[in-house]
Amino acid sequence: MQAVKLRLDGLTVPLVSQQTGLSAPTISAAWKAFREGGWAAVPVRPRGRLKGQANVLDSAIQQWLWEALYTQPPAGKPGWSSADLAAFLRDEHGVELTQRGIEHWWENQGLKHEPWPLSTLAKQRSQRGRWYRQAVAPQFDRLGGADQRWQGGVRRVAHPQGSVYQLYLHGLRGRLWMRCFKRPPLADDYLAVMQTLIGKSEENKGPIALVFHGAWLSASPEVTAWLTQQTMFWLVPVPADMGLAS
Amino acid sequence: MTSLTHLQRLEAESIQIMREVVAETENPVMLYSVGKDSAVMLHLARKAFAPSPPPFPLLHVDTRWKFRAMYEFRDNMADEIGMDLLVHINPEGVEKDINPFTHGSAIHTDIMKTEGLKQALDKYGFDAAFGGARRDEEKSRAKERIFSFRTAQHRWDPKNQRPELWKLYNTRKNGKESIRVFPISNWTELDIWQYIYLQNIPIVPLYYAAERPVVERDGALIMVDDERMPLEPGEVPMMRKVRFRTLGCYPLTGAVESEADTLPAIIQEMLLTKTSERQGRVIDSDSAASMEKKKQEGYF
Repeated sequence: MQAVKLRLDGLTVPLVSQQTGLSAPTISAAWKAFREGGWAAVPVRPRGRLKGQANVLDSAIQQWLWEALYTQPPAGKPGWSSADLAAFLRDEHGVELTQRGIEHWWENQGLKHEPWPLSTLAKQRSQRGRWYRQAVAPQFDRLGGADQRWQGGVRRVAHPQGSVYQLYLHGLRGRLWMRCFKRPPLADDYLAVMQTLIGKSEENKGPIALVFHGAWLSASPEVTAWLTQQTMFWLVPVPADMGLAS
Repeated sequence: MTSLTHLQRLEAESIQIMREVVAETENPVMLYSVGKDSAVMLHLARKAFAPSPPPFPLLHVDTRWKFRAMYEFRDNMADEIGMDLLVHINPEGVEKDINPFTHGSAIHTDIMKTEGLKQALDKYGFDAAFGGARRDEEKSRAKERIFSFRTAQHRWDPKNQRPELWKLYNTRKNGKESIRVFPISNWTELDIWQYIYLQNIPIVPLYYAAERPVVERDGALIMVDDERMPLEPGEVPMMRKVRFRTLGCYPLTGAVESEADTLPAIIQEMLLTKTSERQGRVIDSDSAASMEKKKQEGYF
């Protein structure tokens, strides 16, 4: 309102901005709204971000997010997605936080993991390219039209509160799912994730391929035994020092 | 007179010590543990007596629990340098199947390393043994002289050490005494790395950071190097980018998380580190004054 009044007094946008502390686009938008619809059309909003949208989340919200990440994800989900966490905050604590806000928090906590650009390896004349053509592409080809192409892994994330072990997964479209642990994940933790993927796959009645990095799964008798029983689940381990992220 | 760099001074000192030992003793040997200090010692020895090969053999006291990469490196080096390599494994330890898991690190180290070393020295009648210990590694090594005299039973008395003023070494032995000699005692870990870099000395690849399968044991990252490493129920080794600052028996040697996969990167890391390389050795923390106790009993 104040900005529009100043504009009516003949002040320029930079001067109004200087006097009110509002940004130029905000002033222009308010001026345009006034000219088109009068005072009733001028948007009046409280200044600053909405509660819960701050750059640094409230410590209680952060605590709830961590607690969720350390527990089992919702039934049928291989991990917590930003949508799941947003729903959890809304349903359990009455806090509205956007998926983008949660992803921003992931980024600040070092939990954000970008999917590897596997398809770009197909034509690379490098160790990575050879590995993709020999180990990954044949499995993806076997999937045919099925979209059950997963990639994931486990890693330790350095955090001020101590070590965080993160199991992460990306679906075909790159969506990030995760679960965190205070100790290195055990065979049952890996199997729970893989079992969930099988469940998702059964809904779609197709095979599934998982490219996995960060754990020596074949050293685990439990995981090896489980894998031998699966006919529609193909695990492709990422060899050491493949440097997929770079 | 040209001024020497600090590394050239250290090199000259080490070479002088080696030549002194060869001149003053009858049957010297160089202990070869396959690590970076051994690599530097071997390089210095070859320089000290070039163009001839060093006039003493190498002795590796094997515990059967070293990293596989160390065995490969040791065998390749022995072939390449043309020196005699003696490998001694304590036969009693083999018979009793002494290992770090069922017997613990203290018994394993005592029988396979300390007793093994004493057996080998007695077996071949060596009266002087070069070791690659350095003062900056550990407090008891800091107070040990370069020429460390041992009784006929190989015991060390820290309260009865000879002065080494102006780098003059008294090499006279009493009766069946022997000497452990530490030519690189005054070197630091950083000196070792700089020297390895400048002289292009080959070292075991485990010193370079790479993704390796590790499990956590009491806060230490232990590499799963072969199928003998027992996993806890449900445990799955994680692949983490680690390297080793010191190498010993793999179940007793902790790795450090690192991105240093080149010598300059390792040197850079060394400049920033505030801990001793032996913090990763389980055997050093067995008990208070553990290393000094072991040294008194004959450990090198």
